[in-house]
Amino acid sequence: MVLEATMICIDNSEWMRNGDYTPSRFQAQADAVNLICGAKTQSNPENTVGILTMAGKGVRVLTTPTTDLGKLLACMHGLEMGGEMNIASAIQIAQLALKHRQNKNQRQRIIVFAGSPIKYDKKMLESIGKKLKKSSVSLDIVDFGEEDEGKPEKLEALLTAVNNNDSSHIVHIPPGPNALSDVLISTPVFTGDGEGGSGFVAAGPVAVSDFDFGVDPNIDPELALALRVSMEEERARQEAAAKRAAEEGSSQNKGDEQSSKSQDTTMADTTGATAATDAAEPMSEVDALLQQAIALSMQTPASDSAVRDTDMSEANNEDQDLAAALQMSMQEGEKDSSGQMDMSEVLEDQAFVSSVLASLPGVDPNDPSVKDLLASLHGKSESADQKKDEEKAPKDDEK
Amino acid sequence: MNQVDLVDFIDWSGVECLNQNSAHSIANALKQGYREDDGLNVESDADEQLLVYIPFLQVVKLHSLAVKGPEEEGPKTVKLYSNREHMGFSNVNDFPPSDTVEFSAENIQAGKPVVLKYVKFQNVRSVTIFIEDNQSGGDVTKVQKIAFFGTTVETTDMKGLKKIEDH
Repeated sequence: MVLEATMICIDNSEWMRNGDYTPSRFQAQADAVNLICGAKTQSNPENTVGILTMAGKGVRVLTTPTTDLGKLLACMHGLEMGGEMNIASAIQIAQLALKHRQNKNQRQRIIVFAGSPIKYDKKMLESIGKKLKKSSVSLDIVDFGEEDEGKPEKLEALLTAVNNNDSSHIVHIPPGPNALSDVLISTPVFTGDGEGGSGFVAAGPVAVSDFDFGVDPNIDPELALALRVSMEEERARQEAAAKRAAEEGSSQNKGDEQSSKSQDTTMADTTGATAATDAAEPMSEVDALLQQAIALSMQTPASDSAVRDTDMSEANNEDQDLAAALQMSMQEGEKDSSGQMDMSEVLEDQAFVSSVLASLPGVDPNDPSVKDLLASLHGKSESADQKKDEEKAPKDDEK
Repeated sequence: MNQVDLVDFIDWSGVECLNQNSAHSIANALKQGYREDDGLNVESDADEQLLVYIPFLQVVKLHSLAVKGPEEEGPKTVKLYSNREHMGFSNVNDFPPSDTVEFSAENIQAGKPVVLKYVKFQNVRSVTIFIEDNQSGGDVTKVQKIAFFGTTVETTDMKGLKKIEDH
């Protein structure tokens, strides 16, 4: 929701007649521009957007920054192609247009669609970039269309000269089956600096914006703040509870089904929280730990293997200490087998196990190695059940 | 007439600095505590110029300016513009400055206040500081402290007004 004034620089040179983007480069560009105008004006009602053309007889400003989406869409009609793109003057004129914006509190941004070859050299572009950086103007570059040698390097050099704290971006879009606008939607050009333009969908304006708690911080900042604070407190409380449970579990004898189940859920929550803070884990780490879990369970009596498996798979890769604490608590829990039988039922429930695994980041339940592990877990739980049935049967026989 | 340090009258929500390095921002040179620390300074980014805009909470008169910087990278030519909003590097040369100060290497290291043309700064709502170059001519200008001294213009204290009692 950053308050921003944007100038979009359109390439309407002869190179735009090419059909390597459907239906033509120019049309694809026009669609993308329309979407950007919509996204910008929607994300903040006070945002302004202006458009200028870079080729033709010369750089021409079609509209100065305005909030009126209708005017922007209208001026995209009836544009003619011709001439050569003049990127240097275009950027400077865009900068001038932004300087004279009405609301001086708006940040300044220029979006350039570079579809034709660039005749300027790198030095010139870098000095333009420096000027933009000095006046704190951000620049987004869409490199598409003509693939000229040196063009990507020139544009990258321009981006490095302008870039200040990652507020400027470049996107290279080669010709392909996907529409230009579809590819652009997922890029930072649309989504802004990591805020998420997820409220805007290509299909049309969406009423519900994707904010953290379903509450727009702009509409109701106090409510959004209160929700965020309570969520963080809850998370902190759960982490504290999980730590306490882990300590208690290792020191006391925890055979009680309910308490071990709640321990599992708090463990899952803790691991979920720690998982959230970590970057995506490589598959091999998960596999290695799951194998370790299976190996450990092989060494213990069958009735306990089920419990060990559930807990091991839940105590996932991130927290070795947590895994150690769980191991200790499971060893204590061995002594009371009554609670464990119910755990095996839990493990039998494939839906539960796969949902637990699915909730772990970095573990894809459809991955063949995970499927194999699941199958082996079930094989063991089934054999555990068989043994219990055999134990029960003789008891019944005795009666 | 007692000249006071005008740091308390700066309207922080409107302070802007163009071409500053985001890791070394203008607060390091202006804010109490930060400016006394010589290790914290504001640095220029793309080139050696800096443009600082400082609005005040009320109208003030500026008497003197203290600027402190390192011997090499400290500012040399400093131009002041009174009551001009939202200047950019491109229009900074369009109007004459209200005052210009040239710092020598010893002055800038000592950071002693320099007296300004008082008559030009009688009715100041905001001041823009344009640091044009630095002592050594290098690409980065560093400033450790910027402080203004002056007096406030007598303004009505709204809290002092009393309601007229209804008879």
